[in-house]
Amino acid sequence: MEIILVALKNSIILTVKLLFIILPLSISYEFLKGKESIFQKKGVSFLGITGRGFVPLITGIIIGLTYGAGVIIHSIRASNMGKKEAFLILLFLSICHAMIEDTLIFVVIGANGFVLIVFRFALAIILTYLLYKSRIIKG
Amino acid sequence: MNYVYSNIKKGFLNGIAIVYLMVKVIIPCYIAIELIKHFGLIEIISRFFKPFMGLFGLPGEAALGLLAGYLINLYAAIAVLTPLDLGTKEITTMALMLGISHSLTVETPVTHKTGVNGWVFLFVRVILSLASGVILDLLWKLFL
Repeated sequence: MEIILVALKNSIILTVKLLFIILPLSISYEFLKGKESIFQKKGVSFLGITGRGFVPLITGIIIGLTYGAGVIIHSIRASNMGKKEAFLILLFLSICHAMIEDTLIFVVIGANGFVLIVFRFALAIILTYLLYKSRIIKG
Repeated sequence: MNYVYSNIKKGFLNGIAIVYLMVKVIIPCYIAIELIKHFGLIEIISRFFKPFMGLFGLPGEAALGLLAGYLINLYAAIAVLTPLDLGTKEITTMALMLGISHSLTVETPVTHKTGVNGWVFLFVRVILSLASGVILDLLWKLFL
């Protein structure tokens, strides 16, 4: 019985630590929402991502797939972008998403955040570039 | 001023909703791992997964965290990993693998809706997650 109580106490402490990360982030996301137009027209041309793909890309990197899903699905569908560009964006995001929240919650339990961010960005850029240059998927 | 207040309120409520989802997985997962440790089951699990987890330079019991993250979500994984007392390298490797691939039951339908084949992405994410674990282990041993 004692072991359960100790585990309960420790798990509540862990939840409170995570709460201090989640709350400021979810409040900041509200202020970012609707501000997507600032980014428009800036493409990441060396990765085959044009201006219309930039909003879903940035939303996914900062907020993540689950909470950014609405914006990501809407902007990919509404812009009539090619299948290849949509695939490139999703490949990038599958490696590199929710970079703030995911990194911070693991830093709380002892991970090296610098290594995480550098590794994920490097891997995403390399693989997206290789797929863009390859002819596996036609534009 | 009203705009600021309503954003803070909305963000706060969203945050509380996330924390509620979190509590529901963190408490049971944390208690389950402490019980598994208490009854000595962790050694059996650890031995079973050791050959596989060794590929990423991780102890066998970390497989429980990987499974919790893949199938449930990152909070479940954190609740499982915290009582296991892993080192910085091990936690960072787990965070990398789980960051790339997690909550697959929720996120696969999301990618599917964008018009790209969700199953292809499920496969890509799991492979990338496993491959990054192997690569980070090698890089860490070489440079850090």
